[in-house]
Amino acid sequence: MRLYSIAIYLFLYVPIFIIVLFSFNAGRHASELRGLSLQWYGKALANPFVVDAFVTSLVVALTVAILSTLMGTAAALALQRLKGTLRILFDGMIYISIMIPGIVIGIATLVALVTVFNFLNPLLASVWPEGVKPLKLNMGYATVIAAHTLFTMSLVIILVRARISGMDRTLIEASTDLYATPWRTFYQITLPQIFPAILSGFLLSFTFSFDDFIISFFVAGANTTLPVYIFSSIRRGITPEVNAIGTMVLAVSLILLMAAQYLLHARTNR
Amino acid sequence: MSKIYKENKPITSEKLMNEFHRYQKGSITRRHFLRVTGLGAAMTVLGTAMPSLLPRKAHAFGNLGNRLVFATWPNYHNQVNLDEFTKMTGVHLQMNAFGSNEEMLAKLQAGGTGWDVIVPTNYTITNYVNLGLIQPLDLSRLPNYDGSANDPMFAGPATVNGTVYCVPKNWGTTGFIINTKKIKSSPKSWKDFFDVTMGAGSGHTIVHDYQLTTIGAALCALGYSFNSIDPNELAEVEALLIKSKPHLFAITSDYQPGMRSGDAWMSICWNGDATQLKNDLPEMDYVIATDGGEIWTDFYAIPTGAPHLDAAYVFINYLQDPYIQAREASVHGYAPTDSRAIALQPDSLGSDPILHPAAELLNGLEFGAAQTMTDPVRAEVIARFKSA
Amino acid sequence: MLKNEDSKPNHWLTAALLMPTTMWFMFMLILPLIVILIFSFGERAAVGGYAASFTFEQYANLPSRLKAFQNTMIFATIGTLLSLFMAYPLAYYLALRVDRRYKFILLVLVIVPFWTSLLIRTYAWIFILGGRGIPLMLEWIGIEGVRLVNTPGAVLIGIVYGYLPLMVFPIFVSLEKIDKNLLEASNDLGGTPFKTFMQITLPLSMLGVATGCMLVFILLMGEFLIPAFLGGGKVFFIGNALVDLFLQSRNWPFGSAVSVTLVVIMLITVSLYMRLTMRTKTGRDESLM
Repeated sequence: MRLYSIAIYLFLYVPIFIIVLFSFNAGRHASELRGLSLQWYGKALANPFVVDAFVTSLVVALTVAILSTLMGTAAALALQRLKGTLRILFDGMIYISIMIPGIVIGIATLVALVTVFNFLNPLLASVWPEGVKPLKLNMGYATVIAAHTLFTMSLVIILVRARISGMDRTLIEASTDLYATPWRTFYQITLPQIFPAILSGFLLSFTFSFDDFIISFFVAGANTTLPVYIFSSIRRGITPEVNAIGTMVLAVSLILLMAAQYLLHARTNR
Repeated sequence: MSKIYKENKPITSEKLMNEFHRYQKGSITRRHFLRVTGLGAAMTVLGTAMPSLLPRKAHAFGNLGNRLVFATWPNYHNQVNLDEFTKMTGVHLQMNAFGSNEEMLAKLQAGGTGWDVIVPTNYTITNYVNLGLIQPLDLSRLPNYDGSANDPMFAGPATVNGTVYCVPKNWGTTGFIINTKKIKSSPKSWKDFFDVTMGAGSGHTIVHDYQLTTIGAALCALGYSFNSIDPNELAEVEALLIKSKPHLFAITSDYQPGMRSGDAWMSICWNGDATQLKNDLPEMDYVIATDGGEIWTDFYAIPTGAPHLDAAYVFINYLQDPYIQAREASVHGYAPTDSRAIALQPDSLGSDPILHPAAELLNGLEFGAAQTMTDPVRAEVIARFKSA
Repeated sequence: MLKNEDSKPNHWLTAALLMPTTMWFMFMLILPLIVILIFSFGERAAVGGYAASFTFEQYANLPSRLKAFQNTMIFATIGTLLSLFMAYPLAYYLALRVDRRYKFILLVLVIVPFWTSLLIRTYAWIFILGGRGIPLMLEWIGIEGVRLVNTPGAVLIGIVYGYLPLMVFPIFVSLEKIDKNLLEASNDLGGTPFKTFMQITLPLSMLGVATGCMLVFILLMGEFLIPAFLGGGKVFFIGNALVDLFLQSRNWPFGSAVSVTLVVIMLITVSLYMRLTMRTKTGRDESLM
């Protein structure tokens, strides 16, 4: 079992190793190694498009993760008490938003928003005060965040609900019997129990949004996210610059991970 | 071609000054000087210090911002030129490479591309103009462009109803490339191309992910016009393409990696890519098919609503500099349409059969027709072929 | 918080908690779906795009994409099963065998590769499977002429690689919840490890297995990048057909019809699948959702 797990980790990390290795390539082509150098890191960091795309991705992914854990957890708790038609309706929505392929969401959102915006923009322009540049609705941050959140929010609902269903209810009943306020019961009993699900929901949401290409490809407009930038770079022949970007993202993630592990450790040791 | 020029490295400043002194002393010609020194870009950098060197007045670049988004084709530019443009102006380039004009059109139609400069092919321009997707060019902002230096056969499509919408980049042909180590039968026509695909070369052929060239090639193989939009002829094309599909290595317009790795032996090919491949791999051979094919010109145009308009003009103007054009051509391997740039190229290129094919071969080629771009049958045939 | 179901203020609380989600569903799900439904009955405009009309022409043309639909279903099914068989042992190991201290870090290490773009990782596979990767190594040991890239096999490798973490997570969560005393009790009562696994561990982890399979299957049905990169345009999913319709042939109405059909197919497949798994799960009320 252990050997098997090591093999899986190898499978997961061999491509990563290759990406990292080629990021130090002195040559231009991503397929032959010609000595080692750090030049591509410098180039990537000096490229405003890379920096922009990275910032865009980070902002989008963080917003998506926060929005979906808040809204998803709230909805999961509330849905426990909902019965009848409404409950079925909600379950159906959650189903469908998880089930619809990203590509369909991307396309449908693009088509719908382009249509709506084309209808609203002249209206906005006509009611806007003279002399001020009218607000123009466009594809951008808001549209990507909204489209990503649809999926990740439903994901969080499912994860949190699965956890609630496996939760020990006697504790909650005991807490209520002891006249704890609902908020206190939630904070001291429910939250700690569902916290792992919330955390994994947050992580999954962040990861999904940060890595998503296809939805962003359709709805991000001129706001390029990192995957969209990489996609367009790859199509003109990948350079080690792209590998350098990947490696830096990886390094930052690993540092964050270790920090988290350290903090967790410190807490359990106390 | 001088060594520096070929190796594509910017000249060092010491070497440049040496050459400059030799030029001033008159021991070398201006042409030699320009060629050896890596030409226009280096001069533009020096422009402020030594204005006399510049053929035209150096621009005050003004505030161009620091970015420009640029939609073009794979393997189509000299990285040295692009890097020097960034160094000179502070404008960073984001280059998006596309596999077909239809893909560019689709993105432009959906809106919100953020593109500043695009590289469209001759047959798309009237469509773009009719749809209001590109803007007329202010030629006074492109002093490096010289309309009279361009052959009207190639530059003609840039003008629609008397208004200039683009300036030419270079022209080329669409034929196919073979790896002669693997394919011994020396195919000569598109008919041979499909026969080899389904015969000795099975599993090793690439066709483009591009309706114009892939459908065009099949049309020629069947004896029809490259530009046909006749539904019956296109039905035959669909049958031929679907029959050949199991024998293909890939359907992609970025075929150089496959050809270079040896996985693919034959591909529909633009002549510049052929030059690039042949420079590195002598066993590559470019064929202009005897039964037809495409001759084309690519242009620079500015989409409507380009966010960095000033930078777009400066960039196009930079790329119209004859020296920059010649240095572009030294990498992309296509022939410029601009006679000033051709004059700067090494003489050997003038007789190069890949760049300048024999007249009887050229006469069999057709320029792409505007209606192929919007024809629904062609669009559906290529889409069905890919999903078959 | 979870009790007092009939007291009045809590109704308001329920409504308030559900409000944002409801808004999202309305504007980001229902509205777009209605729009593509309307578009799917339209016509392709002369230059591409959408022209208003009422016709069933687009739906009549669906058989021309049958192959892509079939391909997607087959690859999605095989890909899901492969990922499951590779992920389960790992999830089991992480949940029940690993020391508590390393559990978290090992688990997160499974999703760290997700933090470099899928695009770059898939591109790395092009290198590994391409002429200078594994085939070259095989040549050294005397096996020649192996072609991996642009084959269905390459696409499957890419799929398993891309979706494995998504499978590991839910299975891990379900295994983690199992009461360890239960397993010990089974062992104490003389159950063989195999028997314990079959009778206790596996049934209790079915929820995670079902969630993981559903997630992976669903995402695979809309996959576009992996076949495009590792299949060389020859392994064509319905996602590729959709990208083609919107970004090459600019046939928005037909693309909308294909999207609508895909959504319907998924609804049917997934509800069938859920009904099946629910039956085997001995009538537990709390289903996947």
